[in-house]
Amino acid sequence: MSDASQLPPPVLAVDNLRVAYGARVAVGGVSFRIDRGEIFGLLGPNGAGKTSTLSAIEGLVKPKSGRSLIDGIDTVQHPLEAKARLGVQLQSSSFQAELSIEQIAKLYAGLYGVHLSREQIDASMRTIGLDAELGKRFKQLSGGQQQRMALYIATIHEPLLLLLDEPTAGLDPQSRRALWQRIEQARGAGRSILLTTHSMEEAQAVCDRVAIIDHGALLTTGTPAELIEKHKDDPRVLEVAHGPVTLEDVFIGLTGSEIRD
Amino acid sequence: MIDPQSDTVRPPLGLAMRSLLRADAIVLLRNRVSATLSILLPIVIVVATSLGARTARLGGAELTIGLALTIGLITSCVLGYSLNLAHDREVGVLQRLRVTPAPTWMIMTSRLCVQVVTNLIASIVVVIVGVIVHGLTPTVGQYALVLAVAVLGAAVFLAIGQALVGLVPSTSAVNAIGRVLFIILVLLGIIGSTGILGDTVKSISGWSPVGALMTLFSDVLGGAAWNNQDIYSLLACAGYIIGFAFIGIRWFRWETR
Ligand SMILES: Nc1ncnc2c1ncn2[C@@H]1O[C@H](COP(=O)(O)OP(=O)(O)O)[C@@H](O)[C@H]1O
Ligand SMILES: [Mg+2]
Repeated sequence: MSDASQLPPPVLAVDNLRVAYGARVAVGGVSFRIDRGEIFGLLGPNGAGKTSTLSAIEGLVKPKSGRSLIDGIDTVQHPLEAKARLGVQLQSSSFQAELSIEQIAKLYAGLYGVHLSREQIDASMRTIGLDAELGKRFKQLSGGQQQRMALYIATIHEPLLLLLDEPTAGLDPQSRRALWQRIEQARGAGRSILLTTHSMEEAQAVCDRVAIIDHGALLTTGTPAELIEKHKDDPRVLEVAHGPVTLEDVFIGLTGSEIRD
Repeated sequence: MIDPQSDTVRPPLGLAMRSLLRADAIVLLRNRVSATLSILLPIVIVVATSLGARTARLGGAELTIGLALTIGLITSCVLGYSLNLAHDREVGVLQRLRVTPAPTWMIMTSRLCVQVVTNLIASIVVVIVGVIVHGLTPTVGQYALVLAVAVLGAAVFLAIGQALVGLVPSTSAVNAIGRVLFIILVLLGIIGSTGILGDTVKSISGWSPVGALMTLFSDVLGGAAWNNQDIYSLLACAGYIIGFAFIGIRWFRWETR
């Protein structure tokens, strides 16, 4: 074996990924890498191509070209093996409305090949503060409870990589911070996390590295501090800055000020 | 440089299938309205036709029970199954299942199995009620054949339902087209078979899904000798199953846009 093959592959390697819906190009050749124990934020305005990038990694859409490898496994050639290593929270996902929280947990545990006893479910529900809601339906939970449940399901098989699509959208500040803490705990347990957001505060609070994406292209990648350092003299950034340059100034400077819907 | 361990990390299919079957069964049991409807309508038909005692006009008790069974199957497959599937696709239930390591054929197969079992139970109830109110005395063998035809019919209408959801992305369109399809299939099967629309329509009707199934049901219930018409009906059903299932699987649209 050569030295190179003894290095563990990155948890996620995305190479020149292109996603198109008919003639509409949503992701136009995106490349990035995520290492073990890293929280990586994909930052972009609405319609930038964040969800489409995740969808291609998740196998929900077939990339037009390029590839993504999870722990060295090609997501198109070996979709089931790749998915087994992946925990997912979709932007707009829903669980069967007829199932109780406990039944949802059992279903997804089974789909990932995990045997869960009643006691184990009870214990996990206590840690996420849902032990009083076991018999409830998903729709009957509050927004914060729903996000906690979705994150719990995403981590039920202790995946190598977590993909979270706007995990804190619509949460109140308390729930948001509590979720950040859970995301950091997941990293502490050795997982890598790819999350999307359009909150600069979130990117700075939890992400080790971020990439700014717009119109399906990555504009820049680095730690939040590196991005500010790298773009603080860019005239587009200076024009929108009020005082010292912030990550948000960099974001607006690079992606423009017009409103997206 | 594929990781040789990659196969071992794939979760066992048996556990995944059992979990899906259990969840799908719970979902179906909780949907009481649609379950009740697909069993109530055929029972109303068999009971109502037994009251007048003039069922000979419709071709006799066997044909009436066959019609009731067929209508029960269409209701629960073309209207119920396809609408539930379209709804789950629209709200994202299917997407969430699809990002797990369960193969997509398994997600569909589980739903279909639960659906066929439900149809079988509903058919048993309808046959028993029909036999009692119409005063028939079928043998155990005939009962078994009726249930075999019921499974065949469920497969025909599930294939049609699958093709409908597969090709039509919008849930409300699936609903609307399903209703129209229901009416067309039933009318073609019943009115066409009477011959009042002419011989061409009558022979088309015999080959139509409802016509073919009514023929099989009534011949099986009536203990008629196996004839050419039955073979044609069987072939027609097989054709519908293969054709529509292929369309519904090959061109299934997972997204609503
Ligand atoms: N299923 C789809 N069919 C057609 N166009 C789509 C589809 N999904 C997304 N798009 C388009 O692709 C672009 C990127 O969308 P998306 O990846 O959802 O962005 P984001 O998640 O960053 O808001 C948008 O212009 C969107 O309208
Ligand atoms: Mg999105």
